[in-house]
Amino acid sequence: MFIGIDVGGTFTDAVLLDRGCVRASAKVQTKEDLLSSLLEALDKAMKGVSGDLVERVVLSTTMITNLIVEKKYDPVGLILIPGPGLSHQHYQFNTGTYIIPGAMDYRGREIIPLRRQEMENAIMDLADDGYKNVAVVGKFSSRNNRHEKEVAARLRWNYPDCQVEMGHQVAGQLNFPRRVVSTMLTCATREKYEYFVDSVITALSKRGIDAPVFILKADGGTLPLPCSTRVPIETIFSGPAASTLGVQALTPPGETSVVVDIGGTTTDLALILSGSPLLASKGAAIDDYLTHVRALAVKSVPVGGDSIVERVGKEIIIYSERLGPPYCQGGPMPTPTDALRVLGLTRLGDEDRAREAMDSLGAPLGMSPGEAANKVCNLVIDTISAEIQLMFTQWEQEPAYRVWEVLEKRKERPSTVVGVGGGAAGFISQIAATLGAYPVIPPYAPVANAIGAAVALPTLEVTLRVDTEQGYYSIEEEGFQEALDDANFTEQQALDLASKWLGKRADKYGLNQRIEDVEIIRREVFNMVRNWVTTGKIYDIHVQTPRGILGHIGAGGEIK
Amino acid sequence: MEKKTGLIFFPAFDWAISPTHPEREERLLYTRDQIFEEGVMDLPQIREYAPRLASLHDIARVHFCVPRVQSQVTEAHLIAAGSALQLGDAVVSGEIKNGFAMVRPPGHHAMRTVHGNRGFCNINNEAVLVDYLRRRHGLKRIAIIDSDVHHGDGTQDIFYHDPDVLFISFHQDGRTIFPGTGFSHELGGPQAYGTTLNVPMPPGIGDETLEYIVDNLIVPVIKDFNPDFIINSAGQDNHYSDPLGSMRFTARGYADFTRKLNPDMAVLEGGYAIETALPYLNLAIILALARLDYSYVLEPDYWPGRFTENAERASKVHRTVDYLRDVWEKRNSADIDNIFGKGNFYQRKKFIYYDTDYIEEEQIEKVKKCSNCTGYLLVESRGERGYRAPVRIFAVTVPFSACEACQQEAYDAYHQAKKKEQYDYVYMQDKSLDTCLNYERDKNHEWSTEG
Ligand SMILES: [Zn+2]
Ligand SMILES: [Zn+2]
Repeated sequence: MFIGIDVGGTFTDAVLLDRGCVRASAKVQTKEDLLSSLLEALDKAMKGVSGDLVERVVLSTTMITNLIVEKKYDPVGLILIPGPGLSHQHYQFNTGTYIIPGAMDYRGREIIPLRRQEMENAIMDLADDGYKNVAVVGKFSSRNNRHEKEVAARLRWNYPDCQVEMGHQVAGQLNFPRRVVSTMLTCATREKYEYFVDSVITALSKRGIDAPVFILKADGGTLPLPCSTRVPIETIFSGPAASTLGVQALTPPGETSVVVDIGGTTTDLALILSGSPLLASKGAAIDDYLTHVRALAVKSVPVGGDSIVERVGKEIIIYSERLGPPYCQGGPMPTPTDALRVLGLTRLGDEDRAREAMDSLGAPLGMSPGEAANKVCNLVIDTISAEIQLMFTQWEQEPAYRVWEVLEKRKERPSTVVGVGGGAAGFISQIAATLGAYPVIPPYAPVANAIGAAVALPTLEVTLRVDTEQGYYSIEEEGFQEALDDANFTEQQALDLASKWLGKRADKYGLNQRIEDVEIIRREVFNMVRNWVTTGKIYDIHVQTPRGILGHIGAGGEIK
Repeated sequence: MEKKTGLIFFPAFDWAISPTHPEREERLLYTRDQIFEEGVMDLPQIREYAPRLASLHDIARVHFCVPRVQSQVTEAHLIAAGSALQLGDAVVSGEIKNGFAMVRPPGHHAMRTVHGNRGFCNINNEAVLVDYLRRRHGLKRIAIIDSDVHHGDGTQDIFYHDPDVLFISFHQDGRTIFPGTGFSHELGGPQAYGTTLNVPMPPGIGDETLEYIVDNLIVPVIKDFNPDFIINSAGQDNHYSDPLGSMRFTARGYADFTRKLNPDMAVLEGGYAIETALPYLNLAIILALARLDYSYVLEPDYWPGRFTENAERASKVHRTVDYLRDVWEKRNSADIDNIFGKGNFYQRKKFIYYDTDYIEEEQIEKVKKCSNCTGYLLVESRGERGYRAPVRIFAVTVPFSACEACQQEAYDAYHQAKKKEQYDYVYMQDKSLDTCLNYERDKNHEWSTEG
């Protein structure tokens, strides 16, 4: 049996899956103490089932997201080695930042040596300022990490208690500012995350569960919980990923759908294109910071059931704020939920109060409460539908760097609009109608998040870059760089090397997954020609384990 | 908030002329690394666009492709040209303040008639953009400034008789580099005298002299011309490390030039120092367009004062600039009959060598001297490709502003030519109606495309 638990901001959901069916589910209020909510939900979902029957547990949590948004972490000092390029004015991260001279180029060649004295000064100043966490990040460190390692070694030598994080180990993709942020946030959240992981493992074992435990990442894949402490920020936005995977599991394979999760003040949108959730082309943004975290393409629209509605002149306007519950539930202001109540699309709250709310909006405009309610609903529907259209357009307009990518550009529109979350029932059919699609509210929609967590599969990927002229190769995801002494290194060898590393990573993460079916996402070979003579090759190879979910709920027998 | 700078980065990582050709997959690889690592696409001043394909008609509006457009362009060409159009739309609509199409393959050596690939080019991206902007958005006057080390002979050829397109090219002296043209006496045809200006530079010229050209010729002439749109044909092989050129411009020099020119759009042309120049140059140009500080962009092997200008060569350039400035100021009072001869037509003979495809082309180009419009154009061309039988074509261009009489005469010439045995293909390019016809003798068939 499989367990999925989604620890959200308001509710903690849990489901118990048994041979492709939802055997039990639970929804409890999330309390300040995450762990106790988690156990409460777990106990409810597990009623009568003994812990040793559980084969796997997957968690998704907003913990790291909240830590970051609420800035509940220890300050992190930055030592940056940006070298020439953009003005250093761009590197203002609102924390103690020391920029030291030194530079690598795009092929990992040192172009400016690290200056000892300035490095020492920066280290001393950070220590004087009381920083116990330091992130060291250099431009092009994923091509050559020597400078970062040198600074980190010096820091650790001088201040053994200091927690040091290096850029090349956190993220390998190019984009120095994003690498700085990713490294800084990793450094900031690691300690609290480790504590969380320890307590989850302890708690589960107290319930007699010693099955493997995984954590859901923003990209919809999972990592074994104990291994995830290296990359806590990969867990940001695992909530939206969970609901997307949940919908994927609850709808037929191969469909193009929009997932609409209407909450209190926000509506989260995600796309499933021909059966697979769409990944964002760039790393996720959190709290105005752009990171390298791979994430599903999720868009948050600031409108929900509890958003306040006001009449301004002859207009009715929806704001992105919440001032408490809907009027029909004793709140101070009219909301879309009140409109739904008047139209009979929900049974929440008091009908008379809902009519009163709509009347206060509509009367000055000569509208009956019903008309006002319609107007409010249409505003919500139009806002969300427009955002959905925009998401498709943006996906179509994503940059392409190869001829085949441009030619392959598809134009797709959703065949279904799938509603999950509290406000879904009232709005989904009309949103679908606007888009010319079918509305679907799947069974178990209220716990789709937990289902998504339960069916999520581990994903691993490896990006290999070989530079035969320089004689080295690197594995982006591992921050690994090593010499390679083979001028005649072939494309096949490069593919084999990438697959080998995928296997290594699987072992490291304790995944006994078979790495036979390696998916090649990208394979590129660049001939390096200098003075009309071929001097080497650059191989750029990206492989991954196939993405997907355990199976579809109710499909029967697919989930073992 | 100030508007953004639009970027289309289309490195065509899966397209090359041949594996070891300078125009190969690797060319923009390090540029990609540099601008991605800098996080340029995330800057609030930048907006990245997806490329799109130009239509075959967009190409036919500008070129006579032999035998037809499809046989001269690959998808990569359509994407490179289409990227320019995509950004052009965004600039004209006011969505962005300016744009940079960092695309491959390049185009400025592609002339009006295309028998094959010349100087790594089949399709002239800037020319396709110009005629698209005029047709689609009704722009009239456009300036193209070519900063490639090689003379922009293709662009010059296409707009040589067009008084509404100002073409200024500075480049290494044609006696020392491909394509061997671009001298200061090439000033435009009788209908467009003075709207083509060439500054040939002796090898070894650097930033200081570039600044002189910009301040004393380019900026004041553009101000006079008062164009609706300025395009920089942004070749980067004037850089001191370029293997094909012998000039000494730096990334800083290019960025200063970009800032002063303040083009609506830049379109990447040549530049083959793919490691030592391109990553830094492209970054500096992007920052200059976005009006961001580019003073931190430095080539690893450059230090201030590394190059000093040779006074004698510099003064040679100064003299050329003075001469051209004079031509420009007196262009309206020039004695056209004296320069081009009397008669209803001005005719010139051209010999064009396609260095990539080894084609020899002989061409006679005639322009109607009309006082009511810019005059139509007749082209007779013969392309010889070694072992194959030569291909002969006849082509007619009706300009955007054609008068009724010229249009009538042009169509007469087209229909006449269709009857003549010696032409394998006959073309009509009517820019005023945005209609292109292509007649193939063997099949006795006429194709047409419309915008
Ligand atoms: Zn060139
Ligand atoms: Zn005329």
